[in-house]
Amino acid sequence: MTDAPRNRQRRAFMRNSLLSIPAVSVGSSLAFRASAAAPEAPPLHDYYPTFFTSEEWQFILSATDLLIPADDTGPGALDAHVPVFIDRELAGGYGQAEHWYMQGPFRTDAPAEMGYQLPHTPAAVYRLGIRATDAHCRRHFSKPFAALDKATRTEVLSALEKGTPDFNALGIANLPSSTFFAFLLQNTREGFLSDPIHGGNRHMVGWKMLGFTGARASFREWVDQYDQPYPLGPVSLNGERG
Amino acid sequence: MNDKDNSAMKTLPSVDAVIIGLGWTGSIMGMELTDAGLNVVALERGGDRTKEDFLYPKPADELKYGVRLEMMQRPKQSTVTIRRNADEEALPQRHWTTFHPGDGVGGAGSHWTGVLYRATPTELSLKSFADRTFEPGFLPEDMTIQDYGVTYEELEPHYDFFEKVAGLSGQAGNVQGEIIDGGNPFEGPRQNPFPLPPLPRTLTDTLFTEATKKLGWHPYPYPSANVSGAWTNPYGMQLGPCNFCGFCSNYGCLNYSKASPQTCVLDALKQRETFSYRTHCEVTRIVKSDDGETVKGVVYRDGEGQETFQPAGMVILASFPLSNVRILLLSEIGKPYDPVANTGVVGRNFSYQITGSIDMYFKDHQFNPFISAGGSGQVIDDFSPDTFDTASHGFIGGSYIYTTQGPGGAIGAIRTPPGSASWGSEWKKNASEHYGHHMMLGTTGTNMSYRDVYLDLDPTYTDPHGDPLLRMTYDWKDNDMRMTQFMAERMREIVAELKPDYHTESFKQVGDHFDPSHYQSTHLTGGAIMGTDPKTSVLNRYLQHWDAHNLFVMGASAFPQNMQHNPTGTVAALTYWSAKHIRERYLKAPGPLMEKA
Amino acid sequence: MKLYYGNDTIASKRGRDALALLTGTLLAGAMAPGMTYAQGDARPDSQALARGAYLARAGDCVACHSAPEGKAFAGGLEIKSPLGSIYSTNITPDPETGIGNYTEAEFAAALRDGKRADGSHLYPAMPYPSYARLTDQDVHALYVYFMQGVTPVNHQPPQTALSFPFNQRWGMSVWNWLFADKAPFTPTQGDSAEINRGRYLVEGLGHCGSCHTPRGLFQQEKALGDDEGDSYLAGADLNDWWAPSLRGKGTGQGVAGWTRQDIVDYLATGRNAHSAVSGEMTSVIVNSTSHLSSEDLGAIAAYLKSLPVPRGHGKAPADADIKATEQHLSTGTSLSSGEALYLDNCNACHFANGQGASEVFPSLVGNSQANADNPTALIHTILNGAQLPSTPQKPEALMMPGFGWRLSNQEVADLATFVRAGWGNTGGAVTAEQVQQVRASMDERSGFSGAPDSESQHAADTGSAHSS
Repeated sequence: MTDAPRNRQRRAFMRNSLLSIPAVSVGSSLAFRASAAAPEAPPLHDYYPTFFTSEEWQFILSATDLLIPADDTGPGALDAHVPVFIDRELAGGYGQAEHWYMQGPFRTDAPAEMGYQLPHTPAAVYRLGIRATDAHCRRHFSKPFAALDKATRTEVLSALEKGTPDFNALGIANLPSSTFFAFLLQNTREGFLSDPIHGGNRHMVGWKMLGFTGARASFREWVDQYDQPYPLGPVSLNGERG
Repeated sequence: MNDKDNSAMKTLPSVDAVIIGLGWTGSIMGMELTDAGLNVVALERGGDRTKEDFLYPKPADELKYGVRLEMMQRPKQSTVTIRRNADEEALPQRHWTTFHPGDGVGGAGSHWTGVLYRATPTELSLKSFADRTFEPGFLPEDMTIQDYGVTYEELEPHYDFFEKVAGLSGQAGNVQGEIIDGGNPFEGPRQNPFPLPPLPRTLTDTLFTEATKKLGWHPYPYPSANVSGAWTNPYGMQLGPCNFCGFCSNYGCLNYSKASPQTCVLDALKQRETFSYRTHCEVTRIVKSDDGETVKGVVYRDGEGQETFQPAGMVILASFPLSNVRILLLSEIGKPYDPVANTGVVGRNFSYQITGSIDMYFKDHQFNPFISAGGSGQVIDDFSPDTFDTASHGFIGGSYIYTTQGPGGAIGAIRTPPGSASWGSEWKKNASEHYGHHMMLGTTGTNMSYRDVYLDLDPTYTDPHGDPLLRMTYDWKDNDMRMTQFMAERMREIVAELKPDYHTESFKQVGDHFDPSHYQSTHLTGGAIMGTDPKTSVLNRYLQHWDAHNLFVMGASAFPQNMQHNPTGTVAALTYWSAKHIRERYLKAPGPLMEKA
Repeated sequence: MKLYYGNDTIASKRGRDALALLTGTLLAGAMAPGMTYAQGDARPDSQALARGAYLARAGDCVACHSAPEGKAFAGGLEIKSPLGSIYSTNITPDPETGIGNYTEAEFAAALRDGKRADGSHLYPAMPYPSYARLTDQDVHALYVYFMQGVTPVNHQPPQTALSFPFNQRWGMSVWNWLFADKAPFTPTQGDSAEINRGRYLVEGLGHCGSCHTPRGLFQQEKALGDDEGDSYLAGADLNDWWAPSLRGKGTGQGVAGWTRQDIVDYLATGRNAHSAVSGEMTSVIVNSTSHLSSEDLGAIAAYLKSLPVPRGHGKAPADADIKATEQHLSTGTSLSSGEALYLDNCNACHFANGQGASEVFPSLVGNSQANADNPTALIHTILNGAQLPSTPQKPEALMMPGFGWRLSNQEVADLATFVRAGWGNTGGAVTAEQVQQVRASMDERSGFSGAPDSESQHAADTGSAHSS
């Protein structure tokens, strides 16, 4: 239980994170910052997740790295801090399905077009999905997912996407492996392409890859400049400019 | 009030009128009824929303508003169950996919797209048109379309006024019968041109215009409530020019450019001492009077769970169509519809919207899709219900075909070639290379009403307080699918003109079934429809409830079937129409405004 | 226990009336008018009472004679002056703490001569040098209003206690002899009745010169009327906020470039085709000018348009300068730091042409904050944002977000420097130190922040991931 250094670091990180949230409430200017430099988030390996256990965290790091890899096209999910984004989302209201209708009965065998009908919150989908995937990997490759080589991990993710691994047989009920994968992929894309205020898209790398302008939101003069590449980089909600 | 224990219920002093829901129709009714000298209280289920919530850059957050749908009703508080037919078990929308009902002050009027249309004269009198136009027996036996009971001529002044309230921007096509080049020649005659000129044209607009003109059709700019210039409306409220910020549908406007209750009504309404509103107050019942002819107020639950009876001289039900129908059913006002016996009215003639789209990839065009406004776009109305011989194609109905530049966000803008990888380096390369090179074509069409498509209360699922959820029984019908396939053919002609590098299609076909796992439209209509016969409508032609003369029900729940055009203009015009008759006739002599035939 | 989250005070207040209305078959014929006004026609002086109420609006008496959160006219507002703090007095007809025992002559002496009933002198925070212009008829109307139309409030505001020698009220008689020399108004020959009406309102009750005329060594307004030289209404620095020149005849920045209707619109609604109100003038519009008749506002405009612009008044930006900045910004390339910051933060509303949108987004071209010698007001607006008042004609309380949470001192300085030089503006450069000074002085609760709230950190809502 005693994990003092870790807690200290977490507090330091939380302080840094809070610094990047400029005003805690509307109408408050308490958080005026006097310097242009946005506080630098710590490197990913120094981040201590709030929601994920360390085993789960290794899974998330190694899975998102494959879903959006760093390559010739540009930085990847790890550069963008996508795992931080997912950790924060799952620790928050989204992870708890705070606003979802979660009353039963749950018809887990409903046809796909009836939409999400599982009893799991997004947080539970990850908790169960990672446990099942690691069990699947141990059964077939004798190692958890994160310890596998890249080719095997790629193979496992492809299988999850197709829904091949039978989580039920691994002791995880009511969670198709393809559903777990769909959450993972969607949230990874979100973490790569949403505003950095949510923890991912660090330095707006996802937006720069697309040529998306972020929270710039001002184009009157450009509406009729047809087929011209837009010359300005993105702006984030917090005013980071790229 | 059912058999609930209401011993803890608090009773407040009476007011002249209580309004349930403070979106467009509630705000308009607030203005009209305070103008008439009434003390008015509005009860809003969601939270307050003011301009401060929409200050730049707050709304420019795709995750919060576009993906997590911050501005929408919380399914946890209330959702709907859906089934395709009476043999299926209806299941709840656990989080919104197929439509996005709004929540909070401003309602859907705060996060709508801003496409502001009128109905055509034909669509308001569709049954009469059909009877004139088609051979007997052409319409399917189970199709239950009706006339609205109000004509275009009667609504025209109210459309005109609301268009001034909203600063409608665009090009009129028919002013007092004169057809104007560049406008929509198929629209009903309007007494005045648009308040403001059209928004500037995007690249997609220009490509669409050129292609459809070559095909001999009549392109015109979307009638837009994202305004093209500074505008002061009849209430003294002000709008500023839209800057194509890219955060429109699902978002509050960060630039005072999208007409909404906040930008067009509320500050004026809040100045009135005879108006007040309460947020986080969810109306659960409208309470009937003992006289059997009126209602006497509403019961609501406030943010702290306190149940309260608010007595009122009149009740204006002004929430989202689905909520309107559910409150009527829970309150046992009006006879619930029974599709088997074909009796009753509440829940009858529910309809939706038929949509389809084509996505085109142009390697050599750079669209800059973040330059996007919800109400910007180009449209043709050449294939409306009364502009061509639909019978020869086997259907009644019509659709407009349009393009709009966008989407404004990043997460929602990812396009990759069909069959390509959805992750990894291949996906990344495709996503990067395709971004900004796509143009969409869309179709939005009529949806007829049918005997076995309806709303009722779910027998299984309840809200957190134990009240049944609303159940939607809905499926696509052959008539409507033949129509959308016809539109797909026309859209392919546009594709052939534009010659993209490739295109993909998304259309429904005869035999397909409703798929609520994907977004379809938030244009849900009917269930508490207006008409001239109490046996087939909940409301008379003044939106007055047939069974309770001091209860008026606003909104698209009054539509007997859905029109091709977006509903907000007609919803607002009907509200002003109803208000006019409340002010000029009802308040002077309270009672039914129409005799039951 | 809190029952409502919304603003429901009105409903409960009016509930009883409504209930009375609704016992019976409701509504029919029973609709009471929404508001009734206090004055009844039966009163002997009802005309004077109504006129007095209107004149009290024109004089904006309530602005100084009410404390924040306090009752109207009960005094207690702290007015900071270079001499120390002055507290406004209770001018309700309460006999003990207010002016209930004043005779009309004593009232007139206080109003026009700055002399209290006890014979002591008022400090000229009270604009009696201006009110000296009031006609006897208007003084009478105001007296009737304050005695009969204002609710008495028993409230003793704090005593003004200036340091020596300024606490010696007798000294004011010397000051008065030197500087407060106006007699009741007489029309100026050769000017139209309208201009003279405007002159009366501006020089008298409006006491516009209190803020807009530069003050001299002894805190006196350098001119109390247009007959005392062209420093009258020529613009003044007011607690670091530039109160611009109101002299409108000729060409140049600000009011000089406004039409008569622009002036009327501004006074009635706080906004016009060029500008939007900010700072102290906001409350003047809310409490005073938005309640004046269109005839009186027209007269004020006509008068201001008759005053030649002062010497050295800033030139209106030239079209070529406006166009050059617009075109440069529209290319989006080769941008200075300030230009890039403008595009990233301001362009959404004010646009590349700097002209915003009529009555919605104020123009920055020739804007008084962008051209004032003192950049404090502009810095303040950038840091903190601004909000228009809700007025009867223009109810929308349009808001500009503050950017203090988003921009560093150097960024604000770069941005302000660009705004003060773009489109032909002639304000000077701004330094990060100046920005820091304004930041340090700001009330932390006064901003209109565009900062996303902390909720967005954990945006918790209906999700998008779904089974496929």
